[in-house]
Amino acid sequence: MGLIVQLSYVIILSYFQKNYTVLKEGDIRQRQEESISHVSAVLSISRVAASTLLCHYKWNVSQLHDEWFADEERVRRTVGLLSRPVFFSSAKELTCGICFDSYPRHQIHSAVCGHPYCTTCWKGYITTSINDGPGCLSLRCPDPACCAVVDQDMILRLASDEDKEKYSRYLVRSYIEDKKKTKWCPAPDCSNAVEFEVGSNVYDVTCLCSHAFCWNCTEEAHRPVDCSTVNMWIMKNSAESENMNWILANSKPCPKCKRPIEKNQGCMHMICTPPCKFEFCWLCLGAWSDHGERTGGFYACNRYEAAKQEGLYDEAERRREMAKNSLERYTHYYERWASNQTSRQKAIADLHQMQTVHLEKLSDKLKEPESQLKFIIEAWQQIIECRRVLKWTYAYGYYLPDHESAKRQLFEYLQGDAEANLERLHQCAEKELLVFLGNDDGDTDFISDFKIFRPKLAGLTRVTRSYFENLVRALENGLSDVDSQAASSVSVSSKNAGAKGKGGKAKSSTSRSARSGARNIDDLTHWNCDRCTYANPDSLTSCQMCHNRR
Amino acid sequence: MTTSSTQTRKALSKIAQLRLQKELEEWHDPPVGFKHKVSDNLQRWTIEVSGAPGTLYANETYQLQVDFPEHYPMEAPQVIFVPPAPAHPHIYSNGHICLDILYDSWSPAMTVSSICISILSMLSSSTSKQRPPDNDLYVNKCRNGRSPKETRWWFHDDKV
Repeated sequence: MGLIVQLSYVIILSYFQKNYTVLKEGDIRQRQEESISHVSAVLSISRVAASTLLCHYKWNVSQLHDEWFADEERVRRTVGLLSRPVFFSSAKELTCGICFDSYPRHQIHSAVCGHPYCTTCWKGYITTSINDGPGCLSLRCPDPACCAVVDQDMILRLASDEDKEKYSRYLVRSYIEDKKKTKWCPAPDCSNAVEFEVGSNVYDVTCLCSHAFCWNCTEEAHRPVDCSTVNMWIMKNSAESENMNWILANSKPCPKCKRPIEKNQGCMHMICTPPCKFEFCWLCLGAWSDHGERTGGFYACNRYEAAKQEGLYDEAERRREMAKNSLERYTHYYERWASNQTSRQKAIADLHQMQTVHLEKLSDKLKEPESQLKFIIEAWQQIIECRRVLKWTYAYGYYLPDHESAKRQLFEYLQGDAEANLERLHQCAEKELLVFLGNDDGDTDFISDFKIFRPKLAGLTRVTRSYFENLVRALENGLSDVDSQAASSVSVSSKNAGAKGKGGKAKSSTSRSARSGARNIDDLTHWNCDRCTYANPDSLTSCQMCHNRR
Repeated sequence: MTTSSTQTRKALSKIAQLRLQKELEEWHDPPVGFKHKVSDNLQRWTIEVSGAPGTLYANETYQLQVDFPEHYPMEAPQVIFVPPAPAHPHIYSNGHICLDILYDSWSPAMTVSSICISILSMLSSSTSKQRPPDNDLYVNKCRNGRSPKETRWWFHDDKV
């Protein structure tokens, strides 16, 4: 499935060059080895020293070369690659600088600097450092005044197997994490990394594990919506702020203890939960003991009305009302975002099922090779990709400013068209295909029915793709078509031109259903343009919108 | 305040005990300005600090409390002033000290003496008896008995 989903990307992004490389763990290690060999050869230093230098210079070989040849001494000093020891002793016994015990010479180890520490203390020092994190890649001599590096050889000689494993993982990680143009694939359990061609502006990448993500923000792929919108949207979905808005809209603070109180239904006599137990009126938030016949009854609490007239409650009331409206608006977009996400997951599962089970059976029944049934797979790939795009357009829609009404109209028009076509395609792939997957062999209509089905599904796939391409293109250029005053030239996307014309012609009819209703007129006085589907009066020979000839 | 965290602390390892005994022997001849208060507790030392003559803290004495973790000296000891702590731009009123060698820059080759000398030099170079600017905020955050070793310190100023 992985490869297939990736292929669907290639189809969608066919007009872009692939601008990234997926690196497996083996590839990463190989590249590291190559860099180390190269540096070691060019600078005439040991491989271990080369590795130390590369870690320090974040695997940037050319920067390392430049600085080394400009001032080798300075580089050696900063990195801690001393060329000679700083501590000498000819004594037979040496005192370990950590545990202060004396040891015979052969039980004492040192980094290049010569500071003496015993085996046990070195092991403790190295273990502690490895377990503290990637800082172990630039471990220095324990002596506080010494900057000598503790090299990889020494660490691997003294560390436990478990720690060696951790150390080598940090080394691999440093290659990916320290560099600007590489990142890990964020999918759980995936150990691949992606190297990105800096300067490219299409950030969607697909890992070999089939996870498609945005290289820039590492969220899942969200073209054509930009990273900041996606980020805002994700923050919003998880944010406590929505709960806060809900509390604001549906609850009031207890007038005594100030805890928020939710009222479902029922009478206005509220009793706060213990220990507060304050009894009050929901409407006026006054003490219940003040209420009764005198105040005009609870449901028309005149104290509330009076207070409202005096302007006492206006601010809080207005905030509650606003919160309620904004919550409804958010819910609208969120539901559509989330249900497209669910549909997409379902479609991925369906495609998998199709590839692993149904396709073979169908090919047997029809006596056709599977390659002839590729159009079914393509349809599902298209559905999966479109669900993804559509999902993110709801995040886009949520943040489209209200005052940009022309843009909003164009956006909703394009989104509506794309969505309607996707629904038809999805319905066709899901429901109509079902008929052919049953066990009713020997049905004479089977093959002839399939002959009708084939062009229908393929056609819907093609049409849906082009609608989504329009949508993606329009969102990527910021719906700027509505700004241009120039007459619609043929080179402009036909759908956009159509929307523009409509906006100008029928300003009063803003609802989408009204517009799409007009477009789908099927009677004989109209003809639908093949290119942009606009319903033209019969009298015209070329399309009013895109000038396509009938 | 730190009692709670010491009670849950694990006993010293063999290595830690041996090393501390060696350090303790050295303290028969302590660094100038310090006095170790003798006790049976090897895991918690109390050390008296006297401000160096000619500095802002001359003729003042303070108590340092040093708690050793199980894996001392691989891990740094926890060092705080027992309140009242000296007024100093890097010392909080709860006794926590902002000094890199106590946290990130600790090395097992350092000792209690070397820490003490660093702290005294930090006091001596102070030019004003002031609390850190975020003192109240920080002290408030530590009210639940948080150890200074759980703090992420920023060591931005090496002048004082």
